[in-house]
Amino acid sequence: MKKITLLTALVLLSVLLFAADSNSRFLIKNATIIPVVGEKVENGDLLVEQGKIKAIGKGLQTPEGVQVLDASGMFIYPGFIDAFSRFGLVEIGAIASTVDIRELGKENPELRVAWALNPHSVHFATSRINGTTSALVAPEGGTFPGLSALVKMDGWTFPEMQVKEVATSLINFPITPRPPREGLSAQQETKEDVTSKLVEKIKEYLAEARHYLKLKKLASENANLTPPPHNPKFEALSPVLDGTLPVIVSVEKAKDIELALKFVQEEKLKAIFRRCAQGFRVAAKIKQAGIPVIIDSLYQGPSEPEDGYDAPYKNVAELAKAGVMICFSSGDDPALGKDLTYHAARAVAFGLDHEEAIKALTINPAKIFGVDGRLGSLEVGKDADFFITTGDPLDLRSEVKHLFISGKHIDIANWWDTLYNKWKARPQK
Amino acid sequence: MKQKKLAALLIVVFALASVSLCQTKERSLLLKNGNIITISGENIQGGNILIQGKKIAKVGKNLETAAGTDVIDLKGKWVMPGIIDSHSHIAIEGGVNEMGDLITPEVDVKDVINPEDINIFYALTGGVTSIHTMHGSGNPIGGRGIVLKLRWGASAEEMIFEGAPLTIKWALGENPKQTNFSGPGRARYPKTRMGVEASIRKEFEQAKDYRREWDEYNQKVKESKGKKALPLPPKKDYRLEVVADILKGKYWIRCHGYQSEEMLSIMRLCKEYGVKLVCFEHGLEGYRIADELVKFNVADSTFADFWAYKWEAYQTMPQAPALMAKRGVLVALNSDDAERMRHLFIDAAKTVRFGGLSELDALKIITINPAIIMGIDKQVGTIEAGKDADLAVFNRHPLDPYTVCEMTLVDGKVYFDRAKYIEDWKKAEEERKKKEEEAQKPKEKKNGGEV
Repeated sequence: MKKITLLTALVLLSVLLFAADSNSRFLIKNATIIPVVGEKVENGDLLVEQGKIKAIGKGLQTPEGVQVLDASGMFIYPGFIDAFSRFGLVEIGAIASTVDIRELGKENPELRVAWALNPHSVHFATSRINGTTSALVAPEGGTFPGLSALVKMDGWTFPEMQVKEVATSLINFPITPRPPREGLSAQQETKEDVTSKLVEKIKEYLAEARHYLKLKKLASENANLTPPPHNPKFEALSPVLDGTLPVIVSVEKAKDIELALKFVQEEKLKAIFRRCAQGFRVAAKIKQAGIPVIIDSLYQGPSEPEDGYDAPYKNVAELAKAGVMICFSSGDDPALGKDLTYHAARAVAFGLDHEEAIKALTINPAKIFGVDGRLGSLEVGKDADFFITTGDPLDLRSEVKHLFISGKHIDIANWWDTLYNKWKARPQK
Repeated sequence: MKQKKLAALLIVVFALASVSLCQTKERSLLLKNGNIITISGENIQGGNILIQGKKIAKVGKNLETAAGTDVIDLKGKWVMPGIIDSHSHIAIEGGVNEMGDLITPEVDVKDVINPEDINIFYALTGGVTSIHTMHGSGNPIGGRGIVLKLRWGASAEEMIFEGAPLTIKWALGENPKQTNFSGPGRARYPKTRMGVEASIRKEFEQAKDYRREWDEYNQKVKESKGKKALPLPPKKDYRLEVVADILKGKYWIRCHGYQSEEMLSIMRLCKEYGVKLVCFEHGLEGYRIADELVKFNVADSTFADFWAYKWEAYQTMPQAPALMAKRGVLVALNSDDAERMRHLFIDAAKTVRFGGLSELDALKIITINPAIIMGIDKQVGTIEAGKDADLAVFNRHPLDPYTVCEMTLVDGKVYFDRAKYIEDWKKAEEERKKKEEEAQKPKEKKNGGEV
């Protein structure tokens, strides 16, 4: 415990020592700028003011009092957005007191990540090193795990980090279980009708919520009617049911995806699918429904052996080729948040267009979460969230040299560097 | 059940059947025009590897080949020694932990090898050719492990790596003291690191007594030659037999442990008893005691950057493997996981980025280093004449972020060929679709309209 406190102190101290004033003005010069939206600028400059991108171009004038950073030979990309993570909710998986991710019960649509997120988790700093500047943070478990938040990867407090306090609702769609990875024996597949029955249960729950909201509305219009007792769960579902709040539906098998498509259409939900391990089999249908897909961590095997050993990797390319809007995520392990770019690289190795991969880390998630007015590309007026790197950001041999979040020059050093610098200096024994 | 298994493996089996049909004994195979990463020496651009039977016969440029030699043109692709995973739990039937007791060296993974585990094939698709598959980490002295060659399709017995030293798993820290386990029936000694070490010491002393009893008995038998009344033999104890063999140095100890202090402590214990401690498993804090590890001649088989899943895995960093390797520790990156096993080459690349290993050292960490730790470095781990023809072919440099493993050979035989696999998969997928469509078609009514 002592060590944790010490660690937190260290992290805070480093923030104190290195954080620049967010009102600082920066001019980054002579970089190759990849704005994602718009053409690449060779030997370009980027001006940051008041946390926003003030100007992009060649040979920008240097305003007085501005800090100049020479980025010759380096590349500027918009900050990456991790579209599904557990940052700030899980510190050390096995230690319950550091885990705030899963509530009891199946139906918890009212729970907000905003109420629990720890801005000082070490995983924010270690997960920024490959250019991630924002992340969706979601709870897990049950059918309705709660409400995700979209946050910047830096801030003294949650309100300082938040891009959207409530970004999406969440539904875990029933999954026809995959055969166990260790061998193929044991465990019979759940029959399809079992899945359908579970979907019926979700529909019944939503119908109850609709009924509650209807009674409440009627009572508000008629003084003679008593409103139903306050139900926070159904209240939380209100924006989901009227289609104003998107809902992430985690779904895996092709047949389940088809059921989910029918489900969100019938319920008129503004859906975002997540996982879609067998999405390549029904990509055209997902595209037709106009539903975007959050790709899970690619550190996993095929859903079923028949999908092919390379299914998780090629699935990404197949979805993109069908025209589905995709985005990447680091998934369930916040300690491996930096691997976001490695997932993207695996998808590229197995057929995804490199440019598409970059979009899937930037402008696509920004659009999916409705924040493309602020994030996802380098454009004048947008948040100054970007990084300066030595090469292709998907190449794990490239190194991010500078990172900016909301115009603040972020110290890249983190817990790992603290340990490394200490122990590499241990005198020879 | 068996039929189900077969059906699920259909694609793979198809691919293998067609490959294995062309294989004959002692044939010659030339892999030509590849960028060869030998590990043992310089890379050879546009080089050739001549394979005779199961062995590499020659490596170099412009090799002369006899008539009738099969040729695979690598067209400038990269070829490296087959990747070796020194810590795995695949291909084991049932559980990997004998949790019913504290000390269980009498159990042997060799008895429960499952040669049909599809993870063997998945490992091949990631360029892995040999693995050390081992007992879990629930016991201070656990079960015996086994080194396998991934001869997918062969029997359990045929997969065993000939001549590999016998191993035994030990475990320290949170797992044997069951810190993170809960539920009924979970209260078991030990609950502290002290208790873990005490259990090992106690067992050693018992084994010494046991050995002495038998030695004394054997002596008496010798002395009583010719006499009618023979002494009564002591009770046979298979557990203590193995522990006594550990003390004799019969087994290579592979000790699971995370924290530097428990590692140091167990090194002292091993010195005291003269036990052959070969390698720490995980050893996430090994970077703190790199010089001590070197001095004691013990290796560290670790993760590239897997961390923070429990307290003892928190005080570490992705720079750890490189830091240790640079200070002279024999380091290997292992998978411990069927999924990670498929991308050990990505893990190797991480040691270049974090801590700055050279590309050669990064590749050693998944080839020759684990081979040394497993005692199979005379046979595998580099591309040299006389060694086994276990090879992995990549379309780009194996540390390139966009690299894909395209072919894997074990004993000179192609066990994975991506091009062929894709072809077969497409056929199987067509079949699957056809069946599905047929199943969905409404059945035709034979008698025309119904009333």
